[in-house]
Amino acid sequence: MTKVVSSQIRSPWILHFDTGSCNGCDLEVWALLTPRYDIERFGMLNKANPKHADILLITGPVTKKCEERLRKLYEQTPDPKLVIACGDCASTGAPFFDCYNHSHGVNNVIPVDVFVPGCACRPEAIIDAVVMGIEKWRGMMAEAENGEEDRGPEREREVS
Amino acid sequence: MSAEIALVELAMIALAPFVVGVLFGVDRKLTARMQNRVGPPIVQPLYDLRKLLAKQPRLMNGGQVAFALAYLVLQMTALAILVTGGDLLIVFFVSGGGSLCLVIGAFSARSPFSHIGAQRELLQVLAYEPVLFLVIVSIAFQQRSFLAADITSLLLLALPLSLAALFVVLIVKLQKSPYDIASAHTEIISGPHIEYSGPFLAIVEFAHWAEVAVIFGIFTLFVYDPNVWISVAAKIAIVLVALFLALLVDNAAARLTAGRMVRFVWFVGVLLVAVNLIALFVAGKVMP
Repeated sequence: MTKVVSSQIRSPWILHFDTGSCNGCDLEVWALLTPRYDIERFGMLNKANPKHADILLITGPVTKKCEERLRKLYEQTPDPKLVIACGDCASTGAPFFDCYNHSHGVNNVIPVDVFVPGCACRPEAIIDAVVMGIEKWRGMMAEAENGEEDRGPEREREVS
Repeated sequence: MSAEIALVELAMIALAPFVVGVLFGVDRKLTARMQNRVGPPIVQPLYDLRKLLAKQPRLMNGGQVAFALAYLVLQMTALAILVTGGDLLIVFFVSGGGSLCLVIGAFSARSPFSHIGAQRELLQVLAYEPVLFLVIVSIAFQQRSFLAADITSLLLLALPLSLAALFVVLIVKLQKSPYDIASAHTEIISGPHIEYSGPFLAIVEFAHWAEVAVIFGIFTLFVYDPNVWISVAAKIAIVLVALFLALLVDNAAARLTAGRMVRFVWFVGVLLVAVNLIALFVAGKVMP
C-alpha cells in the first residue's frame, strides 16, 4: 500500500513521455507550462525524469518499440504515482485501429488512472485529469486514515 | 548570557537551510512573476521536501546514499562553523568537501546522465572554488584574522569588488543561468541529482539548501553594525538583494558552455578580488 501525504497533493511533479504521438497532444502538454495555464501555480514541475516524477503524462498510441521503454519508465517512478493517458491515441489507440505496430493505448502496457479524450486533448482537460488523479490520492489518504483507526483496536486485541 | 547565545546559534544552524528553502520559493514566485505567470506559493520547496520524504525509498546502491549523507553532514558542519564564528578557511574546505561528496555520489550510479552531471559539477567546483578562496583571503587580509567572529567593521566599504566576485560564485552555486551547467534542466535533466529519488533526493536537496546557506552566510559577513538590530536588518537586506540580482541575471541570460563558465568565473572573479586587494594595499601604503 502506497502512502500519500498532503504535500504529495501540493507538489505533483510531471514526466511527459511521447510514445509515438503526432505531437498534437504534446503541444497541448507543453502549453500547460505557458503563462496562460501556468501549472506551476499548483506546484507542478515538468521534471523529465521518472525517478523524480509523480505523474506520468503519456501521449501517443504506444508503438511496439516504445512499449518496453514505457514499462521501464513506469517501473522507475517511485510510488505513489499516477498515469494519465493524454489524447485519443493514448486512451484507445483509436486513430490507429487494427494497426499492426501499435499496442492500441497506454492501458494495454501499464495501468492508467485517468483517460483524457480528444484529438488533440485540450490543456484544460489535462489539468482536469490531474485534478481527478489528485482526488484519487485524497481518497487513498482518507482510506489510510480510516484504515488506521479501524486497525487500532485489532492490534490491541492481538497484544492481549 | 552565553547559554542564550548558544541557543540562538543552534536555532540559526537548524533553521538556516529552511530559510534558504523559503528563499528558493521566493525565487520561484518572482521568476514566475517576471515571466507573467502566477507561480507557486513561496513555501512550495518545503512541500516538495515533505513529499519527497514520504515517497517510496529507492536507491541504486548503498554508496550513493552514503555520499548523499556525507554531503549533507559536511554542508551542515560548514554552516555550523560559520554561524558559531569559526575559521572561514575551514568553512571553505568543509563545504568544498561536501560538494565533492555529491560528485562521488553521482559517479557511483552507472548512468551516463549522472556521470555527465558529476563531471559538470566538478567543473563548477573548479570554477568557483579559487574565487571563493580568494574572497575569503581578502576578508582575512582586511580583518587580519580568518575568524568569522572577528569581523567588526563594514567590509562592504573596503571590499566592494570582492563582494561582486562572491556574487559570481553565488550564481554558480544557485544553479542559475547562465551558469546552471550541472543541473541544466532541458539538457541533462538534473545532473548529479538525476539518480536520486524520493527521500534520498530530499537529502540531496536539503544539503544543497545548506550549501547555499553557507554562501549567503559569507554574504552576511560583508555588513556589520555595532547595533545588533541594524546589523541583522542589513544582513537580511544584503541576502535579499543578492538573491534578487541573481534572479534578474537568471531570467535575462541563456545557458553558456562549461568552458566559458570556467573562463569567465576565473578571469572576472580573480581580477575583481585582485584589483580590490591591490587598491587596499596601495591605500594602506599611502595613508596608513
